[in-house]
Amino acid sequence: MNIRENFKMAVDSIFSNKLRSLLTMLGIIIGIAAVIAILSVGNGATSEITKTFNDFGASTISVSVSDKASVDATITDADIEALKNSIPEITRISPDNTANTTVRSVFDSRSALAFSGTSDLQYTNRSMESTITYGRYFNQSDYDDAKEVVVITEDTAAALFNGRQNVIGETIQLIGNTGNTLNLKIIGIMEGTFQELQGSFDLSQMPLYLALPLTTMKKLNPTVAVMNSLTVQVTDKDAIESVSNRMVRLLETRHDTVGEDMYTATNFLQALDQVDSVLGLFVNFIAAVAGIALLVGGIGVMNIMLVSVTERTREIGTRKALGATTNTILFQFLMEAVILTLIGGIIGLVLGILLANGIASALDIVPTITLGSVLLVLLFSTAVGVFFGIYPARKAAKLDPIEALRYE
Amino acid sequence: MISVKNIIKTYTTGAETLVALDTISLEITAGEFTAIMGPSGSGKSTLMNILGLLDRFDSGTYMLNDQNVSDLTDNESAKVRNKEIGFVFQSFNLMPRMSVLENVELPLVYTGVKAKERRERALQALERVDLSNRVKHKPNEISGGQKQRVAIARAIVNNPSVLMADEPTGNLDSKTTVDIMRIFQELNAEGTTILMVTHEPEVALYTKRIVTFRDGVLVSDQPQQQKLV
Repeated sequence: MNIRENFKMAVDSIFSNKLRSLLTMLGIIIGIAAVIAILSVGNGATSEITKTFNDFGASTISVSVSDKASVDATITDADIEALKNSIPEITRISPDNTANTTVRSVFDSRSALAFSGTSDLQYTNRSMESTITYGRYFNQSDYDDAKEVVVITEDTAAALFNGRQNVIGETIQLIGNTGNTLNLKIIGIMEGTFQELQGSFDLSQMPLYLALPLTTMKKLNPTVAVMNSLTVQVTDKDAIESVSNRMVRLLETRHDTVGEDMYTATNFLQALDQVDSVLGLFVNFIAAVAGIALLVGGIGVMNIMLVSVTERTREIGTRKALGATTNTILFQFLMEAVILTLIGGIIGLVLGILLANGIASALDIVPTITLGSVLLVLLFSTAVGVFFGIYPARKAAKLDPIEALRYE
Repeated sequence: MISVKNIIKTYTTGAETLVALDTISLEITAGEFTAIMGPSGSGKSTLMNILGLLDRFDSGTYMLNDQNVSDLTDNESAKVRNKEIGFVFQSFNLMPRMSVLENVELPLVYTGVKAKERRERALQALERVDLSNRVKHKPNEISGGQKQRVAIARAIVNNPSVLMADEPTGNLDSKTTVDIMRIFQELNAEGTTILMVTHEPEVALYTKRIVTFRDGVLVSDQPQQQKLV
């Protein structure tokens, strides 16, 4: 009795009861389709998020000063110099201060987020693009001399100057939350920031973005414009942990706060890990649900195989009389169960891929269907077939030939 | 060929013990055509099941082709059945989803014969029962007599030592019965040893020897000498 014969018999038997076989497979189909859809959408989402984070600066570290810290613990220009000098891996470093302000031009008055820092803010600020459309970013001497200059985005320019883009040399007035005002000369226009959000928000409601030296910001509001956080970029991702530790240690030493937990360094790798683990939790949850569907499907297969064994008792008796051994019968019914689940698995695989593409295009990500997940599905459906088919198959194989032949 | 000595078979149901076969001894030589007769419950089918290695017995010995087959395992029995014994059942027992040809090939599948040879031998067997023109049909597309001829072809396809038929004409009308019995006679004339259980005296007339059972005891063993009308 070879495998080909067994295969043919099993397929014949499955196809002679098409509807019953299909209904039996349904649990497996749904389970496998769900597993495949979730795996590929999950993988797609993970790689999408990873990519976003990498674009965003996986090699970026944020250092923040604790709320409980005294004024003495605030980061100073000298700290920044010291950090730059003693940690060569640091490529860019800037304070990262954000203030809610109102900005007024001759045409209009709007609320705005004012970002302030050193000239490295051009690259460390993640809210504004670093590409300049017109003019220039503020530089070290603007910072040192607290020049009254400002850099705005294209969108800000358009909003404040009736749609005009190149507004270099124009003046805008910044109004702090204390009511102080400051006239600033526009020296640079950065690429717009809202493209990604377009369509989802009413742009006229969005706050405008602008950037200026922290020293200049101090003139508007000295209590807000303090260095409570730093954004640092390092040469490569692998240096993040070590640079984080060295920065915190150096700041602690310089401010004599060793062991007081005044400075915290966080990075996007950690954030990415968190997102990954949340996503992983979600994938695991759905996988568990799919697993239950597979379990129910497997029980369905077992049920139908038991029915099949009972229906075919006489056939089994006849086969035994003709010379089928216990193992031959066992293998025949096991094969039938496995083929049933395997066909279910393949149908589920196809449906799952279709489903994944549907979901993915709705979420605007690329589904990732790996060879590994395909093999996993095939292996798993075979395993379900063997696991739930073995009992009915053993029952068939152990039938007494005389009892079986007499069965009505 | 077949030699059984002092076979005892009992069934126990609760406290009651029923003696199905009481110390049976029987010799069947190659080329014989034997009818086993008796009323129902006489033990004739039990003996047939034991001779066909489908059932076990309590004591005694069974020699088949000079080999002791009294105490084989299930798998050993299956192999001996496959090679040495051809079964014909009262209700044909064909596989409903398989074609006539595939049904006849089935014993060879279990022997492990290659597909091409299987096909050739199955076609030869079908020719011997005059059914070469029905090989692609399914069992539900042919008549009862044809079904039994397929079953006979299946029984002889592996050239067994003995063909065992249990009431082979029980489900057939009288005309078809004659056809089937003629086929048995032809096969016997060509050298096939046949053992047949029947309770119909007119069917037994086609055989050469009649063994009669009553209440588990062998009561008579005589040559069949009556001429067919």
